[in-house]
Amino acid sequence: MSLRQTVPPRGMLAFRSWRPLHFRRFNARGFWTHYYHRGVLRFYRFGLELLVGPLVSSLLFILVFGVAQNEHSTIVPGVGLIAFIAPGIILYAIAHTAFQNAAAMLVFEKMEGMISDVQMAPLSPLELVAGYALSSATCGLSVGVLLGIAAAIFVDFSYFDASLVIGFACATALFFGLLGTVVGIWAERWDHYSAVEGFLIAPLGLLSGTFFSVERLPEAFREWIYYNPVFYAIDGFRAGLIGYAESSQALGIGLLLGLSALLALLGWRLFAIGYKIRP
Amino acid sequence: MEHHPVSLAAASVRRMGPVNWRGLWTLYMKEVRRFLNVFTQTLLAPMVTTLLFLAIFTLALGGGGRQVGGVDFAVFLAPGLIMMAMVQNAFANTSSSLVIAKVQGNIVDILMPPLSPGELTLGIAAGGVTRGLMVGLAVGLGMWLFVPIPIHAPHFIVYHAVMASLMLALLGMIGGIWSEKFDHIAAVTNFVITPFSFLSGTFYSIERLPPVWQTVAHFNPFFYMIDGFRYGFIGHADGSLAIGLVVMALFNVFLWTVTHRMFATGYRLKP
Repeated sequence: MSLRQTVPPRGMLAFRSWRPLHFRRFNARGFWTHYYHRGVLRFYRFGLELLVGPLVSSLLFILVFGVAQNEHSTIVPGVGLIAFIAPGIILYAIAHTAFQNAAAMLVFEKMEGMISDVQMAPLSPLELVAGYALSSATCGLSVGVLLGIAAAIFVDFSYFDASLVIGFACATALFFGLLGTVVGIWAERWDHYSAVEGFLIAPLGLLSGTFFSVERLPEAFREWIYYNPVFYAIDGFRAGLIGYAESSQALGIGLLLGLSALLALLGWRLFAIGYKIRP
Repeated sequence: MEHHPVSLAAASVRRMGPVNWRGLWTLYMKEVRRFLNVFTQTLLAPMVTTLLFLAIFTLALGGGGRQVGGVDFAVFLAPGLIMMAMVQNAFANTSSSLVIAKVQGNIVDILMPPLSPGELTLGIAAGGVTRGLMVGLAVGLGMWLFVPIPIHAPHFIVYHAVMASLMLALLGMIGGIWSEKFDHIAAVTNFVITPFSFLSGTFYSIERLPPVWQTVAHFNPFFYMIDGFRYGFIGHADGSLAIGLVVMALFNVFLWTVTHRMFATGYRLKP
Protein backbone atom coordinates (compact mmCIF):
# COMPACT_ATOMS: atom_id res chain seq x y z
CA MET A 1 0.00 0.00 0.00
CA SER A 2 1.62 3.20 -1.07
CA LEU A 3 1.37 6.28 1.05
CA ARG A 4 0.99 9.41 -1.02
CA GLN A 5 1.87 12.71 0.53
CA THR A 6 1.60 16.28 -0.69
CA VAL A 7 4.54 18.60 -0.61
CA PRO A 8 3.64 21.71 1.38
CA PRO A 9 3.83 25.05 -0.40
CA ARG A 10 6.80 27.06 0.78
CA GLY A 11 4.97 29.83 2.53
CA MET A 12 2.91 27.41 4.54
CA LEU A 13 5.84 25.77 6.32
CA ALA A 14 5.87 28.52 8.86
CA PHE A 15 2.20 28.08 9.54
CA ARG A 16 2.05 26.16 12.82
CA SER A 17 -1.17 24.27 12.38
CA TRP A 18 -0.15 22.96 8.98
CA ARG A 19 0.06 19.21 8.74
CA PRO A 20 0.87 17.23 5.63
CA LEU A 21 -2.19 15.78 3.94
CA HIS A 22 -2.12 12.02 4.37
CA PHE A 23 -4.34 9.76 2.39
CA ARG A 24 -4.23 6.11 1.57
CA ARG A 25 -6.21 4.52 -1.19
CA PHE A 26 -8.46 7.36 -2.09
CA ASN A 27 -7.69 11.07 -2.05
CA ALA A 28 -11.16 12.11 -0.97
CA ARG A 29 -10.43 15.81 -0.60
CA GLY A 30 -8.68 15.97 -3.95
CA PHE A 31 -11.49 14.12 -5.61
CA TRP A 32 -14.09 16.42 -4.08
CA THR A 33 -12.19 19.51 -5.23
CA HIS A 34 -11.93 18.09 -8.71
CA TYR A 35 -15.52 16.89 -8.83
CA TYR A 36 -17.33 19.72 -7.12
CA HIS A 37 -15.27 22.89 -7.32
CA ARG A 38 -13.84 22.39 -10.78
CA GLY A 39 -16.66 20.43 -12.37
CA VAL A 40 -20.01 21.22 -10.86
CA LEU A 41 -19.47 24.79 -9.64
CA ARG A 42 -17.96 25.76 -12.97
CA PHE A 43 -21.14 24.54 -14.62
CA TYR A 44 -23.37 26.61 -12.37
CA ARG A 45 -21.19 29.67 -12.83
CA PHE A 46 -22.00 29.53 -16.53
CA GLY A 47 -25.59 28.61 -15.72
CA LEU A 48 -27.13 30.90 -18.30
CA GLU A 49 -25.20 29.32 -21.10
CA LEU A 50 -24.94 25.71 -19.99
CA LEU A 51 -28.09 25.13 -17.95
CA VAL A 52 -30.69 27.45 -19.42
CA GLY A 53 -29.58 26.96 -23.03
CA PRO A 54 -30.51 23.27 -23.32
CA LEU A 55 -33.61 23.94 -21.22
CA VAL A 56 -34.94 26.57 -23.62
CA SER A 57 -34.13 24.69 -26.81
CA SER A 58 -35.60 21.42 -25.51
CA LEU A 59 -38.82 23.12 -24.44
CA LEU A 60 -39.02 24.83 -27.84
CA PHE A 61 -38.66 21.44 -29.48
CA ILE A 62 -41.56 20.05 -27.47
CA LEU A 63 -43.62 23.18 -28.20
CA VAL A 64 -42.96 23.02 -31.94
CA PHE A 65 -44.02 19.38 -32.08
CA GLY A 66 -47.13 20.31 -30.14
CA VAL A 67 -48.12 22.96 -32.67
CA ALA A 68 -47.13 21.00 -35.78
CA GLN A 69 -48.92 17.77 -34.91
CA ASN A 70 -52.24 16.94 -36.52
CA GLU A 71 -54.87 14.26 -36.04
CA HIS A 72 -52.72 11.72 -37.96
CA SER A 73 -49.66 12.35 -35.81
CA THR A 74 -49.80 9.53 -33.36
CA ILE A 75 -46.70 7.46 -33.16
CA VAL A 76 -48.13 4.70 -31.01
CA PRO A 77 -51.89 4.19 -30.67
CA GLY A 78 -53.13 5.34 -27.31
CA VAL A 79 -50.07 7.45 -26.50
CA GLY A 80 -50.11 11.16 -27.30
CA LEU A 81 -47.39 12.44 -29.61
CA ILE A 82 -45.98 14.84 -27.03
CA ALA A 83 -46.05 12.26 -24.24
CA PHE A 84 -44.14 9.93 -26.56
CA ILE A 85 -41.38 12.34 -27.59
CA ALA A 86 -40.92 14.41 -24.41
CA PRO A 87 -39.02 11.68 -22.48
CA GLY A 88 -36.59 11.26 -25.37
CA ILE A 89 -35.99 15.01 -25.58
CA ILE A 90 -35.35 15.18 -21.83
CA LEU A 91 -32.93 12.26 -21.91
CA TYR A 92 -31.13 13.67 -24.95
CA ALA A 93 -30.63 16.96 -23.10
CA ILE A 94 -29.16 15.01 -20.15
CA ALA A 95 -26.88 12.98 -22.43
CA HIS A 96 -25.74 15.93 -24.49
CA THR A 97 -24.97 18.09 -21.46
CA ALA A 98 -23.07 15.25 -19.78
CA PHE A 99 -21.01 14.66 -22.91
CA GLN A 100 -20.42 18.34 -23.60
CA ASN A 101 -19.19 19.22 -20.12
CA ALA A 102 -16.54 16.58 -19.73
CA ALA A 103 -15.29 16.92 -23.30
CA ALA A 104 -15.31 20.71 -23.43
CA MET A 105 -13.63 20.97 -20.03
CA LEU A 106 -10.78 18.69 -21.11
CA VAL A 107 -10.30 20.31 -24.52
CA PHE A 108 -10.31 23.75 -22.92
CA GLU A 109 -7.75 22.72 -20.31
CA LYS A 110 -5.52 21.16 -22.94
CA MET A 111 -5.72 24.14 -25.29
CA GLU A 112 -5.02 26.66 -22.52
CA GLY A 113 -2.30 24.51 -20.95
CA MET A 114 -4.13 24.23 -17.65
CA ILE A 115 -4.19 20.45 -17.87
CA SER A 116 -0.87 20.44 -16.03
CA ASP A 117 -2.66 21.76 -12.93
CA VAL A 118 -4.76 18.62 -12.95
CA GLN A 119 -1.82 16.38 -13.74
CA MET A 120 0.27 17.85 -10.91
CA ALA A 121 -2.38 17.39 -8.27
CA PRO A 122 -2.07 14.19 -6.22
CA LEU A 123 -4.91 12.50 -8.07
CA SER A 124 -4.68 8.98 -9.41
CA PRO A 125 -5.84 8.27 -12.99
CA LEU A 126 -8.97 6.66 -11.63
CA GLU A 127 -9.76 9.69 -9.49
CA LEU A 128 -9.29 11.89 -12.55
CA VAL A 129 -11.70 9.86 -14.69
CA ALA A 130 -14.24 9.76 -11.88
CA GLY A 131 -13.93 13.50 -11.30
CA TYR A 132 -14.53 14.43 -14.93
CA ALA A 133 -17.22 11.85 -15.65
CA LEU A 134 -19.22 12.18 -12.44
CA SER A 135 -19.17 15.97 -12.42
CA SER A 136 -20.51 16.19 -15.94
CA ALA A 137 -23.03 13.45 -15.22
CA THR A 138 -24.22 15.63 -12.32
CA CYS A 139 -24.51 18.61 -14.65
CA GLY A 140 -26.50 16.54 -17.13
CA LEU A 141 -28.84 15.38 -14.40
CA SER A 142 -29.34 18.99 -13.22
CA VAL A 143 -30.57 19.88 -16.69
CA GLY A 144 -32.74 16.76 -16.66
CA VAL A 145 -34.40 17.58 -13.35
CA LEU A 146 -35.24 21.14 -14.37
CA LEU A 147 -36.43 20.09 -17.80
CA GLY A 148 -38.50 17.25 -16.35
CA ILE A 149 -40.25 19.63 -13.96
CA ALA A 150 -40.89 22.15 -16.74
CA ALA A 151 -42.16 19.47 -19.13
CA ALA A 152 -44.42 17.92 -16.49
CA ILE A 153 -46.45 21.15 -16.54
CA PHE A 154 -47.92 20.35 -19.93
CA VAL A 155 -47.17 16.66 -20.45
CA ASP A 156 -48.94 13.93 -18.55
CA PHE A 157 -46.36 11.88 -16.67
CA SER A 158 -48.83 10.46 -14.16
CA TYR A 159 -47.47 6.96 -14.74
CA PHE A 160 -44.20 7.47 -12.89
CA ASP A 161 -41.89 4.64 -12.01
CA ALA A 162 -39.18 6.34 -9.98
CA SER A 163 -36.70 3.46 -10.05
CA LEU A 164 -36.77 3.22 -13.86
CA VAL A 165 -36.63 6.99 -14.39
CA ILE A 166 -33.79 7.58 -11.94
CA GLY A 167 -31.94 4.43 -12.97
CA PHE A 168 -31.95 5.19 -16.68
CA ALA A 169 -31.26 8.90 -16.21
CA CYS A 170 -28.23 8.16 -14.02
CA ALA A 171 -26.90 5.37 -16.24
CA THR A 172 -27.23 7.55 -19.36
CA ALA A 173 -25.60 10.53 -17.68
CA LEU A 174 -22.74 8.33 -16.50
CA PHE A 175 -22.27 6.76 -19.93
CA PHE A 176 -22.15 10.10 -21.71
CA GLY A 177 -19.98 11.67 -19.01
CA LEU A 178 -17.43 8.89 -19.56
CA LEU A 179 -17.76 9.16 -23.34
CA GLY A 180 -17.13 12.89 -23.07
CA THR A 181 -14.05 12.25 -20.92
CA VAL A 182 -12.56 9.83 -23.43
CA VAL A 183 -13.37 12.11 -26.38
CA GLY A 184 -11.94 15.07 -24.45
CA ILE A 185 -8.66 13.23 -23.92
CA TRP A 186 -8.52 12.33 -27.62
CA ALA A 187 -9.54 15.69 -29.12
CA GLU A 188 -6.74 18.17 -29.72
CA ARG A 189 -8.76 21.09 -31.05
CA TRP A 190 -12.28 22.42 -30.92
CA ASP A 191 -13.15 21.12 -34.36
CA HIS A 192 -12.24 17.57 -33.30
CA TYR A 193 -14.64 17.94 -30.44
CA SER A 194 -17.43 19.30 -32.61
CA ALA A 195 -16.85 16.63 -35.23
CA VAL A 196 -17.62 13.99 -32.61
CA GLU A 197 -20.58 16.01 -31.41
CA GLY A 198 -21.98 16.46 -34.91
CA PHE A 199 -21.21 13.09 -36.43
CA LEU A 200 -21.59 10.76 -33.46
CA ILE A 201 -23.61 12.25 -30.60
CA ALA A 202 -26.30 13.98 -32.67
CA PRO A 203 -27.02 10.96 -34.92
CA LEU A 204 -26.97 8.54 -31.97
CA GLY A 205 -29.25 10.80 -29.98
CA LEU A 206 -31.68 11.88 -32.69
CA LEU A 207 -32.04 8.55 -34.52
CA SER A 208 -32.71 6.71 -31.32
CA GLY A 209 -36.44 6.26 -31.34
CA THR A 210 -37.23 9.55 -29.66
CA PHE A 211 -39.31 10.67 -32.58
CA PHE A 212 -40.62 7.41 -34.01
CA SER A 213 -41.54 3.93 -32.95
CA VAL A 214 -39.51 1.12 -34.42
CA GLU A 215 -42.42 -0.02 -36.61
CA ARG A 216 -42.49 3.40 -38.27
CA LEU A 217 -38.98 2.93 -39.66
CA PRO A 218 -38.29 1.64 -43.16
CA GLU A 219 -37.43 -2.07 -43.12
CA ALA A 220 -33.77 -1.50 -43.92
CA PHE A 221 -33.15 0.63 -40.81
CA ARG A 222 -35.20 -1.38 -38.35
CA GLU A 223 -32.32 -3.73 -37.51
CA TRP A 224 -29.81 -0.93 -37.11
CA ILE A 225 -31.61 0.81 -34.33
CA TYR A 226 -31.03 -2.18 -32.06
CA TYR A 227 -27.30 -1.42 -32.26
CA ASN A 228 -27.81 2.08 -30.87
CA PRO A 229 -27.38 2.08 -27.08
CA VAL A 230 -29.26 5.38 -26.84
CA PHE A 231 -32.33 3.58 -28.16
CA TYR A 232 -32.41 1.36 -25.07
CA ALA A 233 -31.70 4.32 -22.80
CA ILE A 234 -34.57 6.37 -24.19
CA ASP A 235 -36.90 3.40 -24.30
CA GLY A 236 -36.26 2.54 -20.65
CA PHE A 237 -36.57 6.16 -19.55
CA ARG A 238 -39.81 6.52 -21.48
CA ALA A 239 -41.09 3.29 -19.91
CA GLY A 240 -40.57 4.88 -16.52
CA LEU A 241 -42.42 8.05 -17.46
CA ILE A 242 -45.36 6.88 -19.56
CA GLY A 243 -45.31 3.09 -19.19
CA TYR A 244 -44.78 2.23 -22.84
CA ALA A 245 -41.70 0.22 -23.82
CA GLU A 246 -40.40 -1.46 -26.95
CA SER A 247 -37.42 -3.29 -25.51
CA SER A 248 -36.26 -4.98 -22.34
CA GLN A 249 -35.28 -2.64 -19.51
CA ALA A 250 -32.91 -5.16 -17.96
CA LEU A 251 -31.04 -5.41 -21.26
CA GLY A 252 -30.96 -1.62 -21.54
CA ILE A 253 -29.55 -0.93 -18.11
CA GLY A 254 -27.08 -3.80 -18.45
CA LEU A 255 -25.88 -2.48 -21.79
CA LEU A 256 -25.45 1.08 -20.48
CA LEU A 257 -23.57 -0.02 -17.38
CA GLY A 258 -21.42 -2.48 -19.33
CA LEU A 259 -20.44 0.15 -21.89
CA SER A 260 -19.79 2.62 -19.06
CA ALA A 261 -17.45 0.14 -17.41
CA LEU A 262 -15.56 -0.27 -20.69
CA LEU A 263 -15.28 3.48 -21.16
CA ALA A 264 -14.17 3.96 -17.56
CA LEU A 265 -11.46 1.38 -18.07
CA LEU A 266 -10.38 3.06 -21.29
CA GLY A 267 -10.34 6.52 -19.70
CA TRP A 268 -8.39 5.23 -16.73
CA ARG A 269 -5.74 3.69 -19.00
CA LEU A 270 -5.54 6.84 -21.13
CA PHE A 271 -4.92 9.02 -18.08
CA ALA A 272 -2.45 6.49 -16.72
CA ILE A 273 -0.28 6.51 -19.84
CA GLY A 274 -0.85 10.24 -20.38
CA TYR A 275 -2.24 9.77 -23.90
CA LYS A 276 -2.17 13.11 -25.76
CA ILE A 277 -1.66 14.88 -22.43
CA ARG A 278 1.90 14.26 -21.36
CA PRO A 279 4.51 15.09 -23.97
CA MET B 1 5.38 40.42 -53.24
CA GLU B 2 9.02 41.42 -52.82
CA HIS B 3 10.69 40.46 -49.61
CA HIS B 4 13.91 42.45 -49.92
CA PRO B 5 14.25 45.30 -47.44
CA VAL B 6 12.78 48.54 -48.66
CA SER B 7 14.90 51.61 -48.23
CA LEU B 8 13.30 54.51 -46.43
CA ALA B 9 13.43 56.71 -49.48
CA ALA B 10 11.39 54.20 -51.48
CA ALA B 11 8.70 53.96 -48.83
CA SER B 12 5.84 56.24 -49.62
CA VAL B 13 2.50 56.82 -48.01
CA ARG B 14 -0.10 54.50 -49.38
CA ARG B 15 -2.90 56.39 -51.01
CA MET B 16 -6.37 55.02 -51.19
CA GLY B 17 -9.51 56.33 -52.74
CA PRO B 18 -12.84 56.62 -50.98
CA VAL B 19 -12.81 52.87 -50.26
CA ASN B 20 -9.83 50.92 -48.96
CA TRP B 21 -10.41 47.96 -51.25
CA ARG B 22 -7.32 46.05 -50.28
CA GLY B 23 -8.10 46.37 -46.57
CA LEU B 24 -11.71 45.42 -47.14
CA TRP B 25 -10.72 42.32 -49.12
CA THR B 26 -8.17 41.33 -46.45
CA LEU B 27 -10.76 41.64 -43.70
CA TYR B 28 -13.31 39.67 -45.74
CA MET B 29 -10.84 36.88 -46.50
CA LYS B 30 -9.81 36.73 -42.83
CA GLU B 31 -13.45 36.14 -41.92
CA VAL B 32 -13.90 33.49 -44.62
CA ARG B 33 -10.67 31.64 -43.85
CA ARG B 34 -11.60 31.62 -40.19
CA PHE B 35 -14.54 29.31 -40.83
CA LEU B 36 -13.11 27.39 -43.80
CA ASN B 37 -10.19 26.34 -41.60
CA VAL B 38 -12.57 24.29 -39.49
CA PHE B 39 -15.04 23.32 -42.19
CA THR B 40 -16.10 20.07 -40.47
CA GLN B 41 -17.39 22.20 -37.62
CA THR B 42 -18.78 25.06 -39.67
CA LEU B 43 -20.12 23.41 -42.85
CA LEU B 44 -20.44 19.64 -42.48
CA ALA B 45 -21.76 19.47 -38.91
CA PRO B 46 -24.68 21.88 -39.62
CA MET B 47 -25.44 19.89 -42.75
CA VAL B 48 -25.64 16.58 -40.86
CA THR B 49 -27.70 18.07 -38.04
CA THR B 50 -30.16 19.64 -40.46
CA LEU B 51 -30.59 16.39 -42.38
CA LEU B 52 -31.24 14.62 -39.07
CA PHE B 53 -33.87 17.23 -38.23
CA LEU B 54 -35.54 16.60 -41.58
CA ALA B 55 -35.53 12.86 -40.89
CA ILE B 56 -36.99 13.04 -37.41
CA PHE B 57 -39.65 15.64 -38.18
CA THR B 58 -40.77 13.74 -41.25
CA LEU B 59 -40.87 10.44 -39.36
CA ALA B 60 -42.71 11.90 -36.39
CA LEU B 61 -45.14 14.25 -38.11
CA GLY B 62 -45.35 13.31 -41.78
CA GLY B 63 -47.29 10.08 -41.38
CA GLY B 64 -50.32 9.23 -43.50
CA GLY B 65 -49.20 11.09 -46.62
CA ARG B 66 -49.69 14.39 -44.80
CA GLN B 67 -49.85 17.52 -46.97
CA VAL B 68 -49.05 21.04 -45.85
CA GLY B 69 -49.44 24.04 -48.16
CA GLY B 70 -50.28 21.72 -51.05
CA VAL B 71 -47.07 19.67 -50.87
CA ASP B 72 -45.71 16.72 -48.90
CA PHE B 73 -44.74 17.54 -45.35
CA ALA B 74 -41.04 16.83 -46.04
CA VAL B 75 -41.06 19.23 -49.01
CA PHE B 76 -42.79 21.87 -46.89
CA LEU B 77 -40.21 21.41 -44.15
CA ALA B 78 -37.03 21.37 -46.25
CA PRO B 79 -36.84 25.09 -47.21
CA GLY B 80 -37.47 26.17 -43.63
CA LEU B 81 -34.72 23.92 -42.33
CA ILE B 82 -32.28 25.18 -44.97
CA MET B 83 -33.11 28.73 -43.92
CA MET B 84 -32.67 27.94 -40.23
CA ALA B 85 -29.25 26.44 -40.85
CA MET B 86 -28.23 29.46 -42.94
CA VAL B 87 -29.26 32.09 -40.45
CA GLN B 88 -27.90 30.29 -37.40
CA ASN B 89 -24.51 29.97 -39.09
CA ALA B 90 -24.45 33.54 -40.36
CA PHE B 91 -25.17 34.68 -36.81
CA ALA B 92 -22.60 32.34 -35.28
CA ASN B 93 -19.88 33.52 -37.65
CA THR B 94 -20.02 37.25 -36.99
CA SER B 95 -20.89 37.01 -33.30
CA SER B 96 -18.16 34.50 -32.44
CA SER B 97 -15.61 36.41 -34.49
CA LEU B 98 -16.23 39.62 -32.55
CA VAL B 99 -16.66 38.08 -29.09
CA ILE B 100 -13.51 35.96 -29.39
CA ALA B 101 -11.57 38.97 -30.67
CA LYS B 102 -12.80 41.06 -27.75
CA VAL B 103 -12.19 38.43 -25.07
CA GLN B 104 -8.72 37.63 -26.39
CA GLY B 105 -7.89 41.27 -26.96
CA ASN B 106 -7.04 40.99 -30.64
CA ILE B 107 -9.96 43.25 -31.56
CA VAL B 108 -7.33 46.01 -31.86
CA ASP B 109 -6.07 44.23 -34.96
CA ILE B 110 -9.23 45.14 -36.81
CA LEU B 111 -9.68 48.55 -35.18
CA MET B 112 -6.14 49.81 -35.89
CA PRO B 113 -5.92 49.28 -39.66
CA PRO B 114 -7.18 52.07 -41.91
CA LEU B 115 -10.69 50.69 -42.19
CA SER B 116 -13.71 52.96 -41.89
CA PRO B 117 -16.79 51.89 -39.88
CA GLY B 118 -18.57 51.18 -43.18
CA GLU B 119 -15.74 48.96 -44.39
CA LEU B 120 -15.66 47.09 -41.06
CA THR B 121 -19.40 46.51 -41.22
CA LEU B 122 -19.28 45.35 -44.83
CA GLY B 123 -16.23 43.11 -44.46
CA ILE B 124 -17.41 41.24 -41.36
CA ALA B 125 -21.03 41.01 -42.50
CA ALA B 126 -19.96 39.66 -45.89
CA GLY B 127 -18.00 36.93 -44.12
CA GLY B 128 -21.13 35.90 -42.24
CA VAL B 129 -23.27 36.02 -45.39
CA THR B 130 -20.73 33.84 -47.19
CA ARG B 131 -20.87 31.22 -44.47
CA GLY B 132 -24.67 31.35 -44.41
CA LEU B 133 -24.92 30.86 -48.16
CA MET B 134 -22.33 28.08 -48.21
CA VAL B 135 -24.12 26.21 -45.43
CA GLY B 136 -27.43 26.76 -47.23
CA LEU B 137 -26.01 25.34 -50.44
CA ALA B 138 -24.50 22.33 -48.66
CA VAL B 139 -27.72 21.61 -46.75
CA GLY B 140 -29.84 22.13 -49.86
CA LEU B 141 -27.77 19.71 -51.92
CA GLY B 142 -27.84 17.16 -49.09
CA MET B 143 -31.62 17.37 -48.84
CA TRP B 144 -32.10 17.25 -52.56
CA LEU B 145 -30.76 13.68 -52.49
CA PHE B 146 -33.65 12.58 -50.27
CA VAL B 147 -36.51 14.97 -50.95
CA PRO B 148 -37.61 16.12 -54.41
CA ILE B 149 -37.59 19.87 -53.77
CA PRO B 150 -39.16 21.82 -56.64
CA ILE B 151 -37.94 25.30 -57.64
CA HIS B 152 -40.71 27.74 -58.33
CA ALA B 153 -39.19 31.23 -58.27
CA PRO B 154 -35.37 31.37 -58.08
CA HIS B 155 -35.24 35.14 -57.55
CA PHE B 156 -37.22 34.78 -54.31
CA ILE B 157 -34.82 32.08 -53.14
CA VAL B 158 -31.76 34.20 -53.83
CA TYR B 159 -33.23 37.42 -52.42
CA HIS B 160 -34.37 35.87 -49.16
CA ALA B 161 -31.23 33.77 -48.76
CA VAL B 162 -29.00 36.85 -49.05
CA MET B 163 -31.25 39.15 -47.03
CA ALA B 164 -31.76 36.65 -44.22
CA SER B 165 -28.06 35.81 -43.97
CA LEU B 166 -27.25 39.52 -43.96
CA MET B 167 -29.85 40.22 -41.31
CA LEU B 168 -28.51 37.56 -38.97
CA ALA B 169 -24.90 38.48 -39.74
CA LEU B 170 -25.70 42.06 -38.69
CA LEU B 171 -27.57 40.87 -35.61
CA GLY B 172 -24.54 38.75 -34.78
CA MET B 173 -22.31 41.81 -35.04
CA ILE B 174 -24.58 43.88 -32.83
CA GLY B 175 -24.75 41.03 -30.31
CA GLY B 176 -21.01 40.49 -30.52
CA ILE B 177 -20.19 44.15 -29.95
CA TRP B 178 -22.63 44.37 -27.07
CA SER B 179 -21.37 41.20 -25.36
CA GLU B 180 -18.50 41.42 -22.95
CA LYS B 181 -18.31 37.71 -22.14
CA PHE B 182 -19.28 34.47 -23.83
CA ASP B 183 -22.24 34.29 -21.43
CA HIS B 184 -23.78 37.39 -22.94
CA ILE B 185 -23.72 36.17 -26.50
CA ALA B 186 -24.95 32.75 -25.35
CA ALA B 187 -27.91 34.50 -23.74
CA VAL B 188 -28.68 36.32 -27.01
CA THR B 189 -28.54 33.01 -28.88
CA ASN B 190 -30.67 31.15 -26.35
CA PHE B 191 -33.30 33.78 -25.70
CA VAL B 192 -33.55 35.63 -29.00
CA ILE B 193 -32.20 33.74 -31.99
CA THR B 194 -33.28 30.18 -31.14
CA PRO B 195 -36.87 31.05 -30.10
CA PHE B 196 -37.41 33.39 -33.06
CA SER B 197 -36.15 30.82 -35.54
CA PHE B 198 -38.03 27.89 -34.00
CA LEU B 199 -41.30 29.77 -33.76
CA SER B 200 -41.10 31.25 -37.24
CA GLY B 201 -43.23 28.77 -39.13
CA THR B 202 -40.46 26.41 -40.21
CA PHE B 203 -42.24 23.41 -38.79
CA TYR B 204 -45.87 24.34 -39.31
CA SER B 205 -48.08 26.53 -41.41
CA ILE B 206 -49.06 29.46 -39.21
CA GLU B 207 -52.72 28.81 -40.03
CA ARG B 208 -52.42 26.15 -37.33
CA LEU B 209 -51.82 28.77 -34.65
CA PRO B 210 -54.58 30.38 -32.58
CA PRO B 211 -55.64 33.75 -34.11
CA VAL B 212 -53.81 35.84 -31.52
CA TRP B 213 -50.54 34.05 -32.18
CA GLN B 214 -51.04 34.37 -35.93
CA THR B 215 -51.02 38.14 -35.48
CA VAL B 216 -47.92 37.91 -33.30
CA ALA B 217 -46.19 35.73 -35.91
CA HIS B 218 -46.68 38.46 -38.49
CA PHE B 219 -44.43 40.73 -36.43
CA ASN B 220 -41.60 38.19 -36.46
CA PRO B 221 -39.17 39.07 -39.26
CA PHE B 222 -38.02 35.44 -39.24
CA PHE B 223 -41.49 34.48 -40.40
CA TYR B 224 -41.19 36.58 -43.58
CA MET B 225 -37.80 35.27 -44.53
CA ILE B 226 -38.80 31.64 -44.16
CA ASP B 227 -42.15 32.23 -45.83
CA GLY B 228 -40.65 34.05 -48.82
CA PHE B 229 -37.81 31.58 -49.14
CA ARG B 230 -40.24 28.67 -49.06
CA TYR B 231 -42.43 30.41 -51.66
CA GLY B 232 -39.41 30.38 -53.97
CA PHE B 233 -39.41 26.58 -53.77
CA ILE B 234 -42.99 25.40 -53.45
CA GLY B 235 -44.95 28.39 -54.75
CA HIS B 236 -47.13 28.70 -51.66
CA ALA B 237 -46.87 31.42 -49.03
CA ASP B 238 -48.69 31.93 -45.73
CA GLY B 239 -48.22 35.68 -45.61
CA SER B 240 -47.92 38.53 -48.09
CA LEU B 241 -44.87 38.28 -50.35
CA ALA B 242 -44.62 42.01 -51.01
CA ILE B 243 -44.64 42.81 -47.30
CA GLY B 244 -41.92 40.19 -46.83
CA LEU B 245 -39.65 41.80 -49.42
CA VAL B 246 -40.09 45.24 -47.88
CA VAL B 247 -39.74 44.07 -44.27
CA MET B 248 -36.49 42.29 -45.00
CA ALA B 249 -35.03 45.29 -46.84
CA LEU B 250 -36.07 47.81 -44.18
CA PHE B 251 -34.90 45.64 -41.31
CA ASN B 252 -31.51 45.23 -42.92
CA VAL B 253 -31.15 48.97 -43.48
CA PHE B 254 -32.01 49.57 -39.84
CA LEU B 255 -29.57 46.93 -38.55
CA TRP B 256 -26.84 48.18 -40.88
CA THR B 257 -27.25 51.70 -39.52
CA VAL B 258 -27.05 50.47 -35.94
CA THR B 259 -23.92 48.39 -36.62
CA HIS B 260 -22.30 51.28 -38.47
CA ARG B 261 -23.00 53.61 -35.53
CA MET B 262 -21.54 51.08 -33.10
CA PHE B 263 -18.27 50.91 -35.03
CA ALA B 264 -18.23 54.68 -35.56
CA THR B 265 -18.70 55.52 -31.88
CA GLY B 266 -16.60 52.58 -30.66
CA TYR B 267 -19.39 51.38 -28.36
CA ARG B 268 -17.86 48.66 -26.13
CA LEU B 269 -14.98 48.42 -28.60
CA LYS B 270 -12.76 51.37 -27.80
CA PRO B 271 -12.00 52.43 -24.24
